[in-house]
Amino acid sequence: MLKRLTIILSLLLVVLGCTREQNYNEKVLNLISPQKIKGFDPIYAADMYASNEIGKVYEGLLEFHYLKRPYVLTPNLAESMPEVSKDGLTYTFKIKKGVVFQDSKVFPNGKGRELKASDFVYSIQRMADPKLQSTGWWLLDGKIAGLNEWRDKYASAEKVNYDEEISGLKALDTHTLQFKLVKPVPQFLYALAMTFTSAVAREVVEGYGQEFQNYPVGTGPFKLGYFDNSNRIVYEKNPTFRDKFYPTEGAPGDEERGFLADAGKKLPLVDKVIVNIIVESQPQWLNFQKGSADILGVPKDNFDQTVVNGKDLHPSMASKGIKLEMVNSLDTTYIAFNHEDPLFKNNIKLRQAMSLAYDRDEANKLFYNNTAKTAHSIIPPGISGHKADYKNPYVAFNVEQAKKVLAEAGYPDGKGLPELSYETVGSTVARQMGEFFVKKMADIGVKVKISTNTWPELVKKTNTKAAQLFGMAWGADYPDAENFFGLLYGPNEAPGSNSSNYKNAEMDKLFKQSTIMQDSPERTALYEQMYVMAADQVPWIYGMHRTAVTVLHGWLKNYKYIEFTQTQIQYLNVDLESKKVLVNKL
Amino acid sequence: MSSQDTRSLWADAFSRLVKDRWALISLLVVVTYALVALMATLGIGMPDWRSSLGIEYLAPSGEFWFGTDLFGRDVFAKVIHGTKIAMSVGLITSLIAIPIGVVIGALAGYFGGWVDDIISWFITTFSSIPNIMLLISITLIMGKGLLSVYLALGMTGWVGLARLIRGEVMKHKEREYVQAASALGGGHYRKLFVHILPNVTHLVIINTSLQFQTAIKSEVILSYLGLGVQGEPSWGTMIDDARMELARGVWWQLAGATLAMFIIVLAFNILGDALRDALDPKLKGK
Repeated sequence: MLKRLTIILSLLLVVLGCTREQNYNEKVLNLISPQKIKGFDPIYAADMYASNEIGKVYEGLLEFHYLKRPYVLTPNLAESMPEVSKDGLTYTFKIKKGVVFQDSKVFPNGKGRELKASDFVYSIQRMADPKLQSTGWWLLDGKIAGLNEWRDKYASAEKVNYDEEISGLKALDTHTLQFKLVKPVPQFLYALAMTFTSAVAREVVEGYGQEFQNYPVGTGPFKLGYFDNSNRIVYEKNPTFRDKFYPTEGAPGDEERGFLADAGKKLPLVDKVIVNIIVESQPQWLNFQKGSADILGVPKDNFDQTVVNGKDLHPSMASKGIKLEMVNSLDTTYIAFNHEDPLFKNNIKLRQAMSLAYDRDEANKLFYNNTAKTAHSIIPPGISGHKADYKNPYVAFNVEQAKKVLAEAGYPDGKGLPELSYETVGSTVARQMGEFFVKKMADIGVKVKISTNTWPELVKKTNTKAAQLFGMAWGADYPDAENFFGLLYGPNEAPGSNSSNYKNAEMDKLFKQSTIMQDSPERTALYEQMYVMAADQVPWIYGMHRTAVTVLHGWLKNYKYIEFTQTQIQYLNVDLESKKVLVNKL
Repeated sequence: MSSQDTRSLWADAFSRLVKDRWALISLLVVVTYALVALMATLGIGMPDWRSSLGIEYLAPSGEFWFGTDLFGRDVFAKVIHGTKIAMSVGLITSLIAIPIGVVIGALAGYFGGWVDDIISWFITTFSSIPNIMLLISITLIMGKGLLSVYLALGMTGWVGLARLIRGEVMKHKEREYVQAASALGGGHYRKLFVHILPNVTHLVIINTSLQFQTAIKSEVILSYLGLGVQGEPSWGTMIDDARMELARGVWWQLAGATLAMFIIVLAFNILGDALRDALDPKLKGK
């Protein structure tokens, strides 16, 4: 018996030994995503986690150039940048020829068919479909001729007719797509670089029905191999991917940093991408440490082990070939009030009091290791409209003042104010941030309880206006202040980007005025005016503009920080030779 | 005639219990924890876990026995608050689980037949669901928070006791004293609640002590998983915090919570054992 047991044990060891062995025959990229996603439907790609996954399989007309800075748009599925009419209202795109959808059983013989201009018409109609409630509709709302009318017409109808012609959204022939806008919209092209507007095939959507979000079939560099929404997602190189090549020019300095080593090579550069969904930061860190993740945002508790002098990589990590990237992100963190709630809607004093009681310096120290900047208003530095010299009076931490304002709000020492509910996600750090908020509010007598959710649950609550207070961060979708001010624009209310449902007639008026202006000193002046207004009105408790602190292993090549990450993965490469050497040092 | 023979089972059990040094120490530990919890609930003489000392991650010292946490709060004060939570969970879940277990078990054992069939089926089905899964689903349905923890643990904790009582009541209902009660015209209610139940009470007491520590452990697990206590410290959330803090070399929050839990769980186990010995009628007088 004992003998048999030892045989079983030794077999087990052999099996374990095999799985530990790295496979150096194919290039595999190992990534970590901190939140699970619901599925792969581009029209719901509202959060970064979903957008990053969907962007591996689906593609849009345009993308941000991977290397050039400042960020510029470059054609992706479009043959070239569009022809724009003199009045700035008509955009005509030529679409690349020979692009095919990934093979799928919904196509005849299982072979993916060629992408046509009409696929974009269909995909954009889906965004506007009143039955589908896309979380990206705010992006196109009121911009394309005939699209709002189409949406309204079918709002209460039983079935939406996709075959009806829309005057501003037409396929002129199989490879020509034309948009007609109702007004000049300078940010319009940015919308076409976002995951929301990716091309989906009608056969796939209709063929899979309810299951569509689990069976993505795009034109993109990777195809989905395995999807378990709470553990891991595996992608394989798309064998029918078109000829798309690594850029041959970049920003100054890119050559020296080795970002052009793969110039002109066919994309994607790796054979397989494995995304492990790990919510907690400690296992994320351990996975990075043993080389099971190629890249990671440094968890707050591991900052001191990673960074010395506030900017340099710790020698013990540098000796393992690990590299450090610290870049200011174009983002703003905040705690949002739900303005549908009468408590906050008509009580600016209450909002001011809560903002005054929140200690941002302390939060910066505790959660960001002092790498973040205090947010005085909605626009992060690096986007025009941000006023570097402006100090928001309600962002300064002042308990006495907060108490005074709270009394003026009608709740002296919090008396009469019901217990508030703060919605967050269920990771340790999120809970600690919640506890910090609860504690700061308790100091002025405002009682708050924490309610934890999974990420999809939280998204659902904000989309249905069911969250009272919630912690969020908004990262730029494109480098324009309009993307941020849209978060406070009334008509963008949930399920749009204005998830705090803030409404202010004056703000809406200025916003509308700014959206039709081209980038100019006048527009920047208007943005600055809105910036100050967004500070004064305290629609949210502003938090931070963060710095992304990222570590990557030496074998990961071509990693350049990009704010708009949805198309990044195809440009990354793995150096198997150096991985063989470096793995042994870990 | 020696005086021993006139002592009741309870007096005898008590005298045996106090002779067992470890049992006595355990009893003292339990009483101390209960007192601490009571004082913390009433807000008498216990440090306030909310107040920040301003300096985060201070190592344990004479001033702060268990150091401070990331918000500069006294970890000792958090342990005390955790004690309050743990003891309240133990107490309230026992108060919920024990009456359910006793009544259901007694009914099944006493009446037998189809009543027993139905109840046994229910008990078997209920106990076939993995406990932690059941706890998680109950907290998810009722929303997270302390109240859910009480109810979830209370609603799941009665199964073992019900089985035990059922078997014991079956044994007792055939005994002479019950037959005598029948002969004197005692009804079901009288036989079950006046005659049989007092004779199985010792099982309830032993079980309470074990139920108490199981509830404490379950609360820690639920809170560790983020499903338990929200917005206030518990040993479970402290251990959850500590998981990441260990990377910084901050071990005191883990040590404080684990130590506090270890001592009380150990004490309840020893006490449970000692109670079983003390209340065993077969050992009476030995």
